[in-house]
Amino acid sequence: MTGRRRLGDWYAYLFIGPSLLGVVAFLLLPVVIVFALSLFRWELLSAPVFVGLDNYTRLAGDGEAWHSLWVTILYVLLCIPLQTVLALALALMLDRRIKGVRILRSLFVIPWMATPIVMGLVWDWIFDPRDGALNRALDLVGVTGPDWLSDPAWALPAVALVNVWQHTGYTMLFFLAGLQGIPKELYDASSTDGATPAQRFWKITLPLLNPTMFFVTVTNLIGAFQAFDTIFVMTDGGPGGGTDVINFRIFGTAFREFDFGYASTLSMLLFAVILLVTLAQVRFFGRRTTYDLS
Amino acid sequence: MLTPRIRWAASVAGAAVLTLTACGSGGSDGAPGEKVTLTYRLWDEQQKAGYEKVMAAFEKANPSIDVKIELLPYDQYWTKLTADAVAGTAPDVFWMSPTQFPEYVTKGVLSPVPVDATKYHKTVTEAFTYQGKQYGMPKDWGVVGLLYNKDLFKKAGVEMPDTLTWKPDGSGTFLETARKLTADAAGKHPGDPGFDPATIKTYGFLSWNHYQTQWMNFVSSNGGKLLDQPFGKYTFNDDASVQALQFAVDLVNKHHVSPPATRTNPPTGKATDMFKAGEVAMFPANNALLPFVVPDAAFEVGVAPMPEGPAGRAVNLNGLAEAVYAKSKHPEQAQKLAAYLGTEEPQKLMADEGYVFPALNGLTQGYVDHWAKTAKLDVSAFVKEAEGTTFPMPVTTGFTGFEPKLNQIFNEMYLGRLTPKQAADQAVTEGNATVK
Repeated sequence: MTGRRRLGDWYAYLFIGPSLLGVVAFLLLPVVIVFALSLFRWELLSAPVFVGLDNYTRLAGDGEAWHSLWVTILYVLLCIPLQTVLALALALMLDRRIKGVRILRSLFVIPWMATPIVMGLVWDWIFDPRDGALNRALDLVGVTGPDWLSDPAWALPAVALVNVWQHTGYTMLFFLAGLQGIPKELYDASSTDGATPAQRFWKITLPLLNPTMFFVTVTNLIGAFQAFDTIFVMTDGGPGGGTDVINFRIFGTAFREFDFGYASTLSMLLFAVILLVTLAQVRFFGRRTTYDLS
Repeated sequence: MLTPRIRWAASVAGAAVLTLTACGSGGSDGAPGEKVTLTYRLWDEQQKAGYEKVMAAFEKANPSIDVKIELLPYDQYWTKLTADAVAGTAPDVFWMSPTQFPEYVTKGVLSPVPVDATKYHKTVTEAFTYQGKQYGMPKDWGVVGLLYNKDLFKKAGVEMPDTLTWKPDGSGTFLETARKLTADAAGKHPGDPGFDPATIKTYGFLSWNHYQTQWMNFVSSNGGKLLDQPFGKYTFNDDASVQALQFAVDLVNKHHVSPPATRTNPPTGKATDMFKAGEVAMFPANNALLPFVVPDAAFEVGVAPMPEGPAGRAVNLNGLAEAVYAKSKHPEQAQKLAAYLGTEEPQKLMADEGYVFPALNGLTQGYVDHWAKTAKLDVSAFVKEAEGTTFPMPVTTGFTGFEPKLNQIFNEMYLGRLTPKQAADQAVTEGNATVK
């Protein structure tokens, strides 16, 4: 018996081997390397110098880095609630057999397939204060639109809007899948008991969507914390640091200032924040989620 | 898709691995008489065609050397070059720019190259000098000139003066000309009673946050200084510089001869597009921009010398050099290639086919003739400027890190949210913190 089990183990390792190798080489190892780098001063072209926790001391007193973290949090708060509510609303509307529903579903997912850089360039034109489609449209209804990307009050909402536009359709797909996994009998039973549509949504749909909600908010939050591409194209962190999210600062520190040690330290900060937020979500949803619908 | 953070981490890991392997492989200098392959790296796709001919001629004269041309888009060029330098696998000969030069030369990536400095444009050779030595064979230069829309001049009935002059107080022919070319919806010019800046249809000039073609030129032609010395500290917050910056901003916010910064600030601004669309009469640009403007323009383009300031005319002249990698496996052959690239044959070819103004003196006519022949465009104003006072981009360490900060701070200045004094002080402080 023991021999057979060992043989089974061996096969199991063989099967997970290739993907395990990928995870170790491209995920775990880089994380370890980034942590190690955060203890060095390394300007790339000269040899790394071990500096202990110097980079972390610098981080503690680096107002700009904390400003970036704050901007990142604002960005996440602008994106995630709006995106989640919109995606759920879309999913509820498209979770029925109406004509052209398949086409509609695909249409909403298209933004997610666009290259972020191209998308950023297109939205650049849309947000152009004078010739842009958005302000032209606002003009038609008598509203003078702001200078979206150069106004410190509007730049962050503007780039967040692009992110929402890009990810809502994709998120909707998961909600659709989740909705279709809810047994119809539950709705039939609740109708028999005289539940209103609102009650059905709050007492059946939403609680039973928790596994989806969990997955969607965790992945989207992580994605939003790592926002980079559209900001790189649309604002370059401006105006006046208004969209200087942490990932953008990491990029600048590493590839423009060639300060890889400190860039790694900033990455560790982002890593810690994402880890904490994700753990909080795991705890929150862990208590409230039922996976067994039978 | 990998997230940027992970991609970034992976590239660092990759660089680390490359470093290790690079240490392991011993350099194998080919035995004498054996064929050697050199790698030559550049970022300009159009110029690559010219260099293919150049390299063919070099290979013919040196049968024991093969040259492989590597094209990398500009966006990736410096990141890749740095990673390659870390790994010890940078190309043997590659293009170098003045703003990147200090970073690489101070870290020992570049090899000194014997150059007869008297034969090349002074601003180019000076930009690639470090501790009294020349690092890089002067390749070419581009200079800022004043492109203008001849149709708009005709329509407004304005002649381009022989010399444009400006002074911080707003006197001189430059602002006067710009005013005449600026018109609102009712056809009124700035200064006319009832002129409405909100309805401007055409602008006389384009003053925007672009250091190379804009404010650095105003600063220098007002006697301000960008740097105290090469590899030194920034000084463009002195009185003359601040005055010049004030003038640049006034063109937008006070004189209304230039579009608002909301439409021109980088990275989203569309300054070049506005000129191409015929909304702007005068637009300073480096001659390297000609191929991207002249063929698409629906109007006749002219080239005039930049305006003269109180300290005369001083324009930015940006030169490139052919750098030789200090750790090249074939130093002798790499030097041979660099030396050849500095000779008349290749430099003349690149000029005559209209790619660049060559760094070697006495060959500019080929470039001028090319543009006259192919586009009926007289570009001799660029040559005239290059013979006068020119200044290089700031040659000091840390510029790549400083550049985005500088742009952000000056965006605020052009928007009128920071005074020129505040902006210059802030920028100089930030800049000097990046100088090593």
